[in-house]
Amino acid sequence: MEKQKVYELLAEVCQEDVVVEQPDIDLFEEGLLDSFGIITFLVEVEEKFGISVSITEFTREEWNTPNRIAEQLAERV
Amino acid sequence: MNILSAIQNIALNNEDSIAFQNGDATLSYGDLWKQSESLAAYLTTLNLPKKAPIIVYGHMAPMMVSSFLGVVKAGHPYIPVDVSIPKERIQKIIERSGAAFLIETENLERDSLQQSSIPYMSEGQLTNIVAEHSNGASTSTWVKENDDFYIIYTSGSTGNPKGVQISARNLESFVSWMHEDFPITEGKVFLNQAPFSFDLSVMDLYPALTTGATLFAITKEMIANPKILFGQLTQSKTNVWTSTPSFVQMCLMNPEFTSEMLPSLNTFLFCGEVLPTEVANKLLKLFPDARIFNTYGPTEATVAVSAIEVTEELLNDHSSLPIGYIKGDTQMLIINEDDQILSDGEKGEMIIVGPSVSKGYLGEETLTEKAFFEYKGQQAYRTGDVGYQKKGLHFYSGRVDFQVKVHGYRMEIEEIENNLLQCQYVDSCVVVPVYKNEAIDFLAAYIVPKEHSFEKEYQLSSAIKKELAKSLPAYMIPRKFNYCDQLPMTSNGKINRKQLIAEVMV
Repeated sequence: MEKQKVYELLAEVCQEDVVVEQPDIDLFEEGLLDSFGIITFLVEVEEKFGISVSITEFTREEWNTPNRIAEQLAERV
Repeated sequence: MNILSAIQNIALNNEDSIAFQNGDATLSYGDLWKQSESLAAYLTTLNLPKKAPIIVYGHMAPMMVSSFLGVVKAGHPYIPVDVSIPKERIQKIIERSGAAFLIETENLERDSLQQSSIPYMSEGQLTNIVAEHSNGASTSTWVKENDDFYIIYTSGSTGNPKGVQISARNLESFVSWMHEDFPITEGKVFLNQAPFSFDLSVMDLYPALTTGATLFAITKEMIANPKILFGQLTQSKTNVWTSTPSFVQMCLMNPEFTSEMLPSLNTFLFCGEVLPTEVANKLLKLFPDARIFNTYGPTEATVAVSAIEVTEELLNDHSSLPIGYIKGDTQMLIINEDDQILSDGEKGEMIIVGPSVSKGYLGEETLTEKAFFEYKGQQAYRTGDVGYQKKGLHFYSGRVDFQVKVHGYRMEIEEIENNLLQCQYVDSCVVVPVYKNEAIDFLAAYIVPKEHSFEKEYQLSSAIKKELAKSLPAYMIPRKFNYCDQLPMTSNGKINRKQLIAEVMV
C-alpha cells in the first residue's frame, strides 16, 4: 500500500492538504483530527483498503502523524 | 414528585448504595446527602442574594453531583460549567448570569479570567466544607415550584451564549415522565456520557438519583482513549444507556461492542440529534434483548418531550425515524408563518406547550419574548424546528434558522461567525454545514482574510483556529477553512449561503 494513498485519504478527512505536504505534522496538536475524524478515517480505511483497525488499537501516541499512521497501516496489510 | 425528597428517601433507606461512580472514585447516597447538606449550610451563612445563581465548575468528579444538590438545597439554581468551556466563554457566563458565587470541583486557572471578582470556593475548601457534616438548610429553603433549579448555557446567535432557566416544576414534569413512560426500575446502573453543561446529562442524572440508581461516568479522558473507555464499559454493568447517537456510533466501531460486553444493558435512550436508522438497526442486532428509544426535545423544554420505541417494525415502516409521541402533560402545535395551527400531515414550526417549558433566558428579555409566550394559560416555546404529525406521531424535518447539530452538539452558525469576525486575521466570513448521509459531517468556514505574513494557508488556518479556541468550545470550531477574495452575494446584497452549500456538496 502506498503511503501517498493514506496521506490523500487523511487529507480528505482532515480537509487540509498540508497532511500530504508535511507527513510528519502532528494531527492532534494542530487540531486537524478529532475523535469523530478518527472514526471517519477508520471507516474509510476499511472501505478503501480493506484493512480493519479496531478503535481500541488507535492510540493518539502511536497514530499522531500521517507518516506514522501509514506505517501502522502497512503493518496490518 | 419532589426531586430532593425522593433522593433524601433513598439516602435514608439505602445510604450505602452507590449514587455516582467515576473510575475508582465512588459516592454513596449517604455521603451525597451529607456532603450536600454541609455545603448548603455553608452557602446559607454567606448571605448571598436570594435565588442568585451559583456556578459549579468541573468535569465529572463525584463532588459535582454533591455541589448541585447543595446549591439547590440552599435555595439557589446552579449553572454547570464543564472544563471544556474556554475561559472567555466562562467569563461571559459569569457576567451575563449575575452569578453570586463559583464552586470549583476542579482547579480553574483563575488568572486567565479577567476581572474575576466573583467570590469562589476552591476545590480544597469545598473538600473541607463537605467533610464537616453540618446539618443543612431546612427544607423550607430548598428550591421549589417555579424557582430555577438549574440554568444551562447554550449557543446564542448574537455571539453570546444564553442561559436556559429550568425550574423545579419543569424538572419534576420531565423526571415523572421518565419514570412513567420508560422501563426504568429501581437500583439500576445508568451511563452518563454527556458533560453536565449539556442537558442530555439531565436525562440520566435525575431519573437515576430518584430511583436509587448508580450513575456511571464516561469522562473525556476515556472518550479520548478508546482502550480505557471500553475497559470501563465492560466493568460498568450498565443497564440504561443514555448518549447522543454520535457517541454510540463511535462505540459501534469496535466489533466487541455487543451484548457480550454489556450483558445487563436493557435500555438505550437517545437524544440530541437525529438517530440514523442504520445505527438503530445495528443496535437491534447486537443487543437483541435491549429496548431502544428515540427521544426529542430542546433544552428550553427540559431535555425531551417526545419519545418512541424503535423496533424492527418501525424501522421497516420509516426511512427516517419519527421523533415520537408527545408526553402526556404536554402539547405540540404545528403552526404556519401566520401562527395558524396546521392539520395532520402539514409541515410547520413545532411549538411546545406544557409544564416542562422554561420561563425563558436568564436576563434576556428580548430573546425570551421572541421565543416564549403563553398559550391558553400554559408556557409555550417556539422551537425553530420544522416538523409535522400523523395521528399524534411526530416527525422532524429541519430548522427555520441557522441552528445546527454537529455530532449532537447544538450551535448557532451566527455565533461561530460572530466569533470568527473577532479574530485578527479575519475580514469577513461565512460558515456552512457539510452533509454526509443526511447528517452534518463537519462545518466549513469561508474566509476573506486580512493581511497576514503566513506562507501557507494551513498556518493561517492554524492561527485562526487557535484564536477561536479562546472563545469557543472545540466542537464549534469549523474543520475546513477556505479562503477567497470575496464572499458570493445574492442579488439583494446578502451572502449567498446556498451557493456555498452547493459548492461543498460537490
